[in-house]
Amino acid sequence: MRLPLNQDQRKGLVGAALLSVIVLAIVGTYALWGESYQARILYATFVNLLVVVGLQVFTGNANITGFSHAAFMGIAAYAAAICVTPAAMKLISLPDAPWGLNAFDLSPIVSAMIALAITGVLGLLTGLIVVRLSGVGVTIVSIAILVIVHSIFLHRTDIFKGNQALFGIPKVFGLPHITGLVIIAIFAARLFRESAIGLQLRACADDEAGARSMGVDVYRVRLIAWVLGTMFFATAGIAYAFFLGTISARPFYFNFVFLTVAMLILGGLRSVSGAVFGTLLISIGLEVVRWLETGPTLAGLKLPQMLGLSGLLLGVVIVAVMAFLPNGIMGNREIEDLFRRKTKGD
Amino acid sequence: MLQTSSLKAFHGPIEAVHGIDISVAEGQCVTLLGPNGAGKTSTLSAITGTVRATGTIRLGGEDISRLPVEDRCRRGIAISPEGRRVFANLSVRDNLIMGGALQPDKAQLNREIEDWFTHFPVLGERHAQPAGTLSGGEQQMLAIARALLSKPRILLLDEPSLGLAPMIVAKIFEIVRDLKARGTTILLVEQNASAAIRVSDYVYVLNNGLISSHGAAANFGDGSDLMGELTGVHV
Repeated sequence: MRLPLNQDQRKGLVGAALLSVIVLAIVGTYALWGESYQARILYATFVNLLVVVGLQVFTGNANITGFSHAAFMGIAAYAAAICVTPAAMKLISLPDAPWGLNAFDLSPIVSAMIALAITGVLGLLTGLIVVRLSGVGVTIVSIAILVIVHSIFLHRTDIFKGNQALFGIPKVFGLPHITGLVIIAIFAARLFRESAIGLQLRACADDEAGARSMGVDVYRVRLIAWVLGTMFFATAGIAYAFFLGTISARPFYFNFVFLTVAMLILGGLRSVSGAVFGTLLISIGLEVVRWLETGPTLAGLKLPQMLGLSGLLLGVVIVAVMAFLPNGIMGNREIEDLFRRKTKGD
Repeated sequence: MLQTSSLKAFHGPIEAVHGIDISVAEGQCVTLLGPNGAGKTSTLSAITGTVRATGTIRLGGEDISRLPVEDRCRRGIAISPEGRRVFANLSVRDNLIMGGALQPDKAQLNREIEDWFTHFPVLGERHAQPAGTLSGGEQQMLAIARALLSKPRILLLDEPSLGLAPMIVAKIFEIVRDLKARGTTILLVEQNASAAIRVSDYVYVLNNGLISSHGAAANFGDGSDLMGELTGVHV
């Protein structure tokens, strides 16, 4: 017998639909009035959105901060890129590649599947270690994973080209693809949050011993969330490579980790809506800041160039949110809660 | 139903309980009385499996002393923990769903949760609120209902009256009496001797990790002497 969705899960579908409407409204606004250069900005925002929603799955529900997501995203991006790039192109871009990596090419779908599978296996192997650690342990091990993967990218130049760009990747994705992926990701993350496993994970975040004494297998639920999270990061990495056409190791490192974690913290890590709002707010904020950095003329006043302002402001956002809004903008609320009539005691 | 023999409980290297034998028969309410630091909570933690312990613990004849926490819950041990410890960020309803996490029939679980909402209307009114926003008495009711949703064979109640106003304490003991009348097997830990003795069949007094006396609840009178003995304050 198929179980009907419970109250929370029905609410979750409504919430995910509302968030999808916001995403579609943004795409619609761009389609009507946007300039073509903004397509790139919008695409990048949506890749970030995939990552931040994926972060919510583990970090948000388990309340354990991981920093390795950029590594998993990079692994998937490189795996997909190496599989999909035409062999003729790889003979130029990766002439010294071992194991015949430059002697074949696959369709984008198969390449994406392989990238997802490789990332999933690595997610499972790292997850088996990570879920047995305490909160701080996870943070440290996840940073170690990030550093290890990054140094492999940098030093195996025969496969990854290090700091140089790996070029010639077919540009098979556009805005419609990433929009579809973002909407699927929002529904998946929200339904996971409201699923039995998501609920058990959130209960462990509040009181691990208490949840265990109710029969919850803490390691199992954490492992499921960790591996599911890596699937979101992998999808983001694949979408990134399939759109840009060239990738390098640099973007899959601390700057990106810092940016996405700031987005999650600002929005509120306990809620999927928080992840979405945090990403959108910081993305918009950064565009404004980038414009300010160039030293524009405002109401007749010539502002000085302020390079590095964006990094500074990101730090300020994290500190300010931690100090004044420790649960982020959304706290425990999801988007549909904002529309609910306030009831007694709320 | 539940027997321990030479049960010792440890916090790190420190032995908090020095080998005690207690026994709870089916349908009984047995109380573990004692002052702060006597080892009452440590005893319950040893039974649920959250602290290191030696000795044997039998549930319905089966030795469960080597089982991990989750499996003891599956065998039928549920606890309403000290200080209530509800899942503060989860809604009242989600707390109850967690209590029934092991129940496979979710429709049945839902009906039982609705039953609790009729039983404790105050929880029903607040079903969507985070449990952390409830008052102490409401959280205690929630913790008890949550523990019972796992359909335990024995309910461990750790100081349900702790930090509550006298009127609320009376209400909580009314709930305990009501549970007992419905046939629930209860191991109660308390400092409120007189109220606990009134709902109990059998009493163990724990002092410095050892049982200093035990007997049928009737032998302890109204408990006022006992309180004086335990706390050193004679009124």
